[in-house]
Amino acid sequence: MNNKLTKIYFDPYLFFSICLLSILGLVFLYSASNADLSIVLRQSAYVLFGFLIMLAASQPDPDLFRRTSFLFLVFAVLLLGITFLFGPEINGAQRWVRMGPVSFQSSEFLKLALPIFLASFLCDKKLPIQTREVGITLIIIFLAFSLVARQPDLGTGLIVALSGIFVLFLSGLSWSFIGGAFVLLVISSPLIWNVLLEPFQRQRIATLFNPESDPFGAGWNIIQSKIAIGSGGIFGKGFGQGSQTQLNFLPETKTDFIFSVIGEEFGFIGVFLLLSIYFFILMRCLYLALTARDRFCRLVIGGLSLTFAANLIINLCMVVGLLPVVGMPLPFISKGGSSLMSLFFAFGIITSMATHKKFLPQ
Amino acid sequence: MIFEERQVEKNNFLSRAIFIFVLFSFSFLVVLLQVFSLQVSSYSAYELAALNNKNYSVPIQPLRGEIFDRNGHVIVRNMKTFDLITQPHSIDDAESFLQLIKPVIHLTELEANQYLENFKEKAFVNKELVLKKNLSTEEIARFGVRRFMFKNAFIGERYRRMSDYPEIFSHVLGYTSRAEDQYDSLSDIPRSHWEDAELVYTNGLIEGITGLEQTYNQMLSGTYGKRVYEINARGRLGETLEDEPSVPGEDIHTHLDISAQMSASKAFGSRKGGVVAIDLESGGINVLFSAPSYSINKLANGMTVADFQGLITNPSKPFFNRALQGRYPPASTIKPAIAMFGLTNKLVGWEEEIDDPGFFTLPENGRIYRGWKKGGHKNVNLKKALLVSSNTYFFKLAYQSDMQELASYLASFGFGTQVCGDCFDEDGAFLPTPDWKYNNLNIPWFTGDTVNIGVGQGYLVATPMQLANYASILANKGRALTPSIAQSVLSDAVKQNNYQVSLGKKDWINLHDALTGVIESDLGTARSIRDLKNFKVAGKSGTAELVSLDSKEAYQDVRGTELLRDHSIIIAFGPMPNPKYAVSVVVENGESGGAVAGPVAIKVLKSLLNEQ
Repeated sequence: MNNKLTKIYFDPYLFFSICLLSILGLVFLYSASNADLSIVLRQSAYVLFGFLIMLAASQPDPDLFRRTSFLFLVFAVLLLGITFLFGPEINGAQRWVRMGPVSFQSSEFLKLALPIFLASFLCDKKLPIQTREVGITLIIIFLAFSLVARQPDLGTGLIVALSGIFVLFLSGLSWSFIGGAFVLLVISSPLIWNVLLEPFQRQRIATLFNPESDPFGAGWNIIQSKIAIGSGGIFGKGFGQGSQTQLNFLPETKTDFIFSVIGEEFGFIGVFLLLSIYFFILMRCLYLALTARDRFCRLVIGGLSLTFAANLIINLCMVVGLLPVVGMPLPFISKGGSSLMSLFFAFGIITSMATHKKFLPQ
Repeated sequence: MIFEERQVEKNNFLSRAIFIFVLFSFSFLVVLLQVFSLQVSSYSAYELAALNNKNYSVPIQPLRGEIFDRNGHVIVRNMKTFDLITQPHSIDDAESFLQLIKPVIHLTELEANQYLENFKEKAFVNKELVLKKNLSTEEIARFGVRRFMFKNAFIGERYRRMSDYPEIFSHVLGYTSRAEDQYDSLSDIPRSHWEDAELVYTNGLIEGITGLEQTYNQMLSGTYGKRVYEINARGRLGETLEDEPSVPGEDIHTHLDISAQMSASKAFGSRKGGVVAIDLESGGINVLFSAPSYSINKLANGMTVADFQGLITNPSKPFFNRALQGRYPPASTIKPAIAMFGLTNKLVGWEEEIDDPGFFTLPENGRIYRGWKKGGHKNVNLKKALLVSSNTYFFKLAYQSDMQELASYLASFGFGTQVCGDCFDEDGAFLPTPDWKYNNLNIPWFTGDTVNIGVGQGYLVATPMQLANYASILANKGRALTPSIAQSVLSDAVKQNNYQVSLGKKDWINLHDALTGVIESDLGTARSIRDLKNFKVAGKSGTAELVSLDSKEAYQDVRGTELLRDHSIIIAFGPMPNPKYAVSVVVENGESGGAVAGPVAIKVLKSLLNEQ
């Protein structure tokens, strides 16, 4: 017992690969910010704080997360409500909430709270999951999505929805249901296009397929990003040598398009190494999920790591021109506090779920 | 949950987790493939796109070649002027900068306003901005001692295209003017970058519009250089990445002679007309002058709209190049060619005499063609006919000629075609043929038409250039050279003339003898200019009638209107017996050929021979 109290729960593989990513992220950020040291220092502070959060989140027993999951969800929804009522409007969207000196994107909490709550809700349900439970789950997912999407923040909204759907899928949603939902989605896609999407969102999707139609307007970001990546070649132009980055042809270099900076300055080799680290983290998460002690832990690890993966893939596909431009940072690399904190928090929870073992069957 | 259920749940989770992780791994692969296609397969295209983004290339204007006369004196040169150039991006406040510099540089309201108008944009993109053009020496000196106060401004050299003889060489040299852009000359510089071209001339990009400046534009222009700047996304210029200097244009050395051209101009005074003089050795054009003229300096460096309108609407048409485009009846100056035709075709000999009663009667219809002297010249042979310019003799000779043959014979002297190798916009004037008349006027050629050609009247017209060329062939005893202005002419700019006029050796001697007599003998029609020089000159004068009249009395009425007065024409070459130069002069409405055009020709010849 005494031994157990002093034990520090952490997964060396996850911990050190995230360490590596964070350090690389700071290096890339230095170049992406045109050698602005103050930005890098500020981000370093976030990273350090993030590690503390991750370590702290790793320590409690998974049962604590399961018991408090509903409270956590309520807290996240409340934050969104506060944002809606008091949040400042920036570029036509209310996404931020201010608490004393700290301000952050409130939707980040929901990305964690929703899958954990759904995992606790579904972890003791019999297989296959009943229609009633699926219905409840889908309603919760839809409400969560709507809350974020109305900010408006479609990108994060979709991620929130995906985080819930992943848990639902992993918990044993029947294949026939999945097939039906897919067909329904295809059929209703014209409706989604015409009714649900804002004009600027439609524009972004149209631009994806033909960026040259408006090279200095909507197409600019995609075109410049592809030029930046493509011109990096195999070996890249060298640290701080990317003309697209340094001469500001590339937009949003510090946030959404930082991957293009890496592609330009470190080339295909740099991209390959970076993706390998991400891939390693994902595979490690898969392994941890499969070896986790119980269903709740499995679902949480699966849900959170897949959310992380979706976030990553969407950002990658966006900057290489495979998906329309949505605001989505590159995990652990892009500048920004909120998303970084929630990432560290998520991996802390993953670590907790993975490292707390029960040697006796339940 | 019981153990079996847990196992089922675990397996279920396992298969789903693996399914979805495989799905994500596949997405990874797709991203990686896309990156591979961007960075490896399409690398060169994107590399180029990135270069095009950051490299901003601008053309550098080359200095234009200068133009020299045959003695190596410059006629048109690049005159250095000084502009005050500023770097707005290092000036904090334009207004206070202007206040600071006003005591040093005189600025008009317009200049200051223009500066302020363009300041912001140039500062933003880090480009230079000219504050004042053409600084005075005082301004340069004042700025020089206060240079430490203006680290963001400097004095830059800019050139103007200038001639020290702006009025007299206008038609032959032509002028330069603003060119749109020279996009075609540099394919790797986008068209839109031309507005940022680095200029050498105050007027910006220039090109030859007329005259030699146009004919040899390519040679004079030189080759544009290129400077490549790094530029950021907002259009601000950074460091220079590449510098490829321009290559100045080649100088052109011409056959022109400044002092002879000045003599021509001086001799013309306020009259209208044209002069062309040709070097008989090389075919080089020593004088090519048209009056009235205009200032090429003003045209090249900016003139007011009113001034320009004045030139265009001037009834004397100063832009009209009379030496190359003026169509004049050659009048009696054609007679040597007609004589040669007669000799070649054995229609006349040197000894045979005819009676000149002062007129010629056309046998077909009895129509009378009058000579210039009432009562005629009595007995005339060919030599006397040339000396006294007997119309009757040449009416009769022309009457005996076949017009088709006569036309092709005259063509071998260059009549009816462009003769100059490198002249700008030369007119071929007109040599009539029976076919032409029938096809265009729907009337057959009458023998009366041929009779008129015999004295250089009627449909036949020629330019002073053609007359000088004709004179040079006469002087060179049949050898035809291609007249050209530039000494080493561009092969593609020159049209070669391949004609030769042959005549017996004795006939040439007699012909030169007769033409020398026109000026040097007591009988000659141009004897009035005999004493203007101390070398012998051969020639033939003419008086081109603008109105066809039957009597001298009728002409006295016409004289009242100056523009209807006869043109005075002369062709001449000397010094005899070994001529070096041939010259043609047409003085519009100058009347008597020998007395008016003659002195001009002599002054030009004297100047060319360095005789005062």
